[in-house]
Amino acid sequence: MTTPALNTDLLLFAAAAAAKVLLFLGGAMGVTALLTLAERKVSALMQDRIGPNRAAIAGLTLNGLFHPVADGLKMLFKEDFRPAAADRLLFALAPVLALAPVLTLFAFIPFGDYVMLFGYQLDLCVADPPLGLFLLLAVSGLSVYGTFLAGWASRSNFALLGALRAAAQMISYEVTLGLTLAGLMMVYGSASLQDIVRAQGALIWGWIPAWGIVTQPFAFVLFLTAAIAANKRTPFDLAEGESEIIGYFMEYSSMRFAAFMFAEFAEMLLIAALCATLFFGGWQVPFLYETGFMLPGGAALELPQWVTALMQTGAFALKTLFFCWLQLLLRWTLPRFRFDQLMSLCWRRLLPLSIANILATGAALLALR
Amino acid sequence: MPRLTIDGRPVEVKEGATILEAAGLLGITIPRFCHHPALPPAGSCRMCVVEIEGSPKLATSCSTPAAEGMKVSTSSPAVKAARRDVLEFLLLNHPLDCPICDQAGECSLQDYYMEHSCAKSRFPAELKEPRQKRRLIGPHLVLDNERCVLCTRCVRFCDEVTRTSELFVSGRSDASFIDIREGKALDNGYSLNLADICPVGALTSREFRFRQRAWFLEKTPVTCLGCATGCRAEAHHAGGEIYRMVPAPGAENAWLCDRGRLTYRPLRAGDRLKKGFIKNGYIDLEPAVREAAARLAGEPGAAVLGSPWLSVEDNAALAALARALGTGNYCFSFTAESGIKDGILVNKDPAPNTAGAAEAAPTGGLDLGELNRRIAAGEIKALITEARAAAFIKGRLPDGFKLIVFATNRSEIPAGAYATLPYASYFETPGTFVNYQGRRGVTGPVVPPPEGVPPLAETAAALAAALKGDGA
Amino acid sequence: MISVRKVNNRPLNFLERIYLVEIARGLAVTARHFFANLLGRRSLTVPYPERRIPAAGNSASRTRHRLKARPDGSPRCVACFLCQTACPARCIAIEAAEYPGNPVEKYPASFSVDLSRCVMCGMCVEACPEDAIAMDTGELPGGAASRQELRLDKEDLLRRVPGETPARGAANRLAEGPGGER
Repeated sequence: MTTPALNTDLLLFAAAAAAKVLLFLGGAMGVTALLTLAERKVSALMQDRIGPNRAAIAGLTLNGLFHPVADGLKMLFKEDFRPAAADRLLFALAPVLALAPVLTLFAFIPFGDYVMLFGYQLDLCVADPPLGLFLLLAVSGLSVYGTFLAGWASRSNFALLGALRAAAQMISYEVTLGLTLAGLMMVYGSASLQDIVRAQGALIWGWIPAWGIVTQPFAFVLFLTAAIAANKRTPFDLAEGESEIIGYFMEYSSMRFAAFMFAEFAEMLLIAALCATLFFGGWQVPFLYETGFMLPGGAALELPQWVTALMQTGAFALKTLFFCWLQLLLRWTLPRFRFDQLMSLCWRRLLPLSIANILATGAALLALR
Repeated sequence: MPRLTIDGRPVEVKEGATILEAAGLLGITIPRFCHHPALPPAGSCRMCVVEIEGSPKLATSCSTPAAEGMKVSTSSPAVKAARRDVLEFLLLNHPLDCPICDQAGECSLQDYYMEHSCAKSRFPAELKEPRQKRRLIGPHLVLDNERCVLCTRCVRFCDEVTRTSELFVSGRSDASFIDIREGKALDNGYSLNLADICPVGALTSREFRFRQRAWFLEKTPVTCLGCATGCRAEAHHAGGEIYRMVPAPGAENAWLCDRGRLTYRPLRAGDRLKKGFIKNGYIDLEPAVREAAARLAGEPGAAVLGSPWLSVEDNAALAALARALGTGNYCFSFTAESGIKDGILVNKDPAPNTAGAAEAAPTGGLDLGELNRRIAAGEIKALITEARAAAFIKGRLPDGFKLIVFATNRSEIPAGAYATLPYASYFETPGTFVNYQGRRGVTGPVVPPPEGVPPLAETAAALAAALKGDGA
Repeated sequence: MISVRKVNNRPLNFLERIYLVEIARGLAVTARHFFANLLGRRSLTVPYPERRIPAAGNSASRTRHRLKARPDGSPRCVACFLCQTACPARCIAIEAAEYPGNPVEKYPASFSVDLSRCVMCGMCVEACPEDAIAMDTGELPGGAASRQELRLDKEDLLRRVPGETPARGAANRLAEGPGGER
């Protein structure tokens, strides 16, 4: 990470940061929009259906590619309804509080190592704070405010009940989420996401990449479960239960409602990116180093640095998309948990297991030293 | 006061009352075609026959006076058989026209067949005697002789009520049919009553023909505004449209004149005003009101003329407008010769509310002569009134005179009117009218007004408010 | 008498109780469908209404209405309004008019069926005294891009079968003068 010393450096740093934010955040939001379509298309393919394919611009449907646009426009033109008794300020604030933390979190995710541009080393990460993992947990914990305030500010019994359910679920699983990551930090000796990714580039016994899935396989399962639950997606979607249970954003409509939906899909993308970053080597491609491929047998292929950087970013994107798809697949495969099952799963199974995972990791680390 | 029993129930009636009327007092409805309470009895249809104890033959209840000690049966087997037979005879040559017959749904023959016969026809349809169908008689009626049951209600109406005797029964026995006298047309001014009293679909109204089925019609009592008589009538309407007017059941006026029946016609005319009209162009109501207010406020000699065609309430609103103008130039007193003109219903005074208009301004105000004098003298330069009342202004309007009128239809607008404001007619908004005898009648609303057309009182109030705004 | 049968479900074994294996099996099923469909297997859904699955050849089923015509092409309907009266969905709207020189006298100047409101109950067919309306076109209504398409006017209703070119203008054709077919 470059430390800004001169004013020109500061300017360059600011410009680079702004470009990265625009590029990465824009890309993330674009992919999120497409995820809303992917959710419907993937489910259609799984169920031998066609899926949405009617939205058209000048007769052109592109097999449904315009549906996110149509959905967005539709949401814009819906009546923005607010209950008469609602708390005006909090009611308006809740969707922002739901969406903002999720979008903030994308800043901590490294989407590449670095790239040399005009002699300037550009880190392919918007921000890489030394305690990135803790910050990540802290910021993601904020989104529960959005959820709970939505139910509270609506002044509606049903919305409040939904918010209570959602808040209980989110807070419970945040605990497990934090504990599963502890093992990772012990293994890689850092809380910075970029450091963790770099550490995953090492090889075990000379040929196995030291990815999180190899060093912490158990933590991955726990993390994915807890993350999906914290995101309130199927099979843990009983906080909103789109079609039948009344959720915390029941009184919301128009773009305010869209903000909640968008936050959910953005968080899905975030979870996918985190899975890739923490457990599947992030931008790492096995045996690809700054200078090119170096296979265990000794064979090597030299590549310019910008090519490796590109390949690494592409690898990160592919991994992320895979986990997005996996979450969709999970959603359309599993039935929903009951609320007592959900809570018992968290406090009586996942939490003890994650603590056990920390203990086991510690023991293993001690033994290997 | 004869006392008799009908179907075992005792009843006491006035001297001279018929058995049919006596049964009516007991709530027993005896079927009838030729009997009509407002017409002399004929006893020709034989539908109303009853059995009287001690009498060898069945008797027509519509023409047999009730007598002391009579024992009458209206539902004995002989009576029922007689009704069935009468219906079978009537239906022998009756066409299968119900789907295209306007009377269907309010047809005595249909009702009585369902109630008293329901027998299958023994007469083959192809042997039915064809008769003349669809004969246009008079400006308002169509005669279908195939459907006629020869009850002669129409003939008696023309003989006894209008005393014009246009119709008669031509031919003999089964070849007889209703015909119109050579060289006569059925245009006696009451001809549409025939469509009402015809128990079947033989005489139907050309105005109503094929436009709506009877069972869709809703009925709302109204006061007829055709003249100062103020007959009580009933508007039949469906889906926001009026289809016909008939005399109100139980009203003192058993009939309604053709002109009164067609007073709903301007509503259907294509020239209904839905916006203001200034000089030669339509303009939205709100700017039209502002323009009218500016004309009235700008002229020191502004005047308000009430109208005997407007309700008491709307005249009062015009009087309030005169007060808002702060002018003494207003007139609400009209004098007209009144009284029944033709001996039946039509009044000499064609305006419905001459008596009621004066209520708006009981004291003060000008009379019509003084108003005309001031207009001619140029003391009054702007005047607001109702379109038909503008005819009270005699002589040519002076140059620069601004005449502002309220009108429902474009054809009503008098020549020389500067601005016209639309208003909801009294089929669309309630109104009180005082007839020539001083009887108050409330009418409407029957149907909703065209969108954006308020009642006159509302527009007058808006005008007054606009005047106040200008003054401030 | 209620018969009760007790079903003894096999208790889950350990592997099943930790879900993971079963979830993986479930994912395998859905993923198999996903890839099979992604790589070209046809979906069971038909892009209605552009493509339609032909209805079963059951003559008793009520399908889109049609108005029957007399041999001369004029509609049998005499605008008696009985179908409109009988219609519980109020989807039929008729305007009557008069044939000037025809003994039938009355005909529908306009006759429209709003299929978006129609409940396919067939009461109009039952009510018709002239046997002028029928529901036997074999065409199942629905699936239109606009409400207007679901509003059938007299010309649409006089078309005999779907696919056949409608004879526009036939609806107002008069029967031959007095004494014509009745």
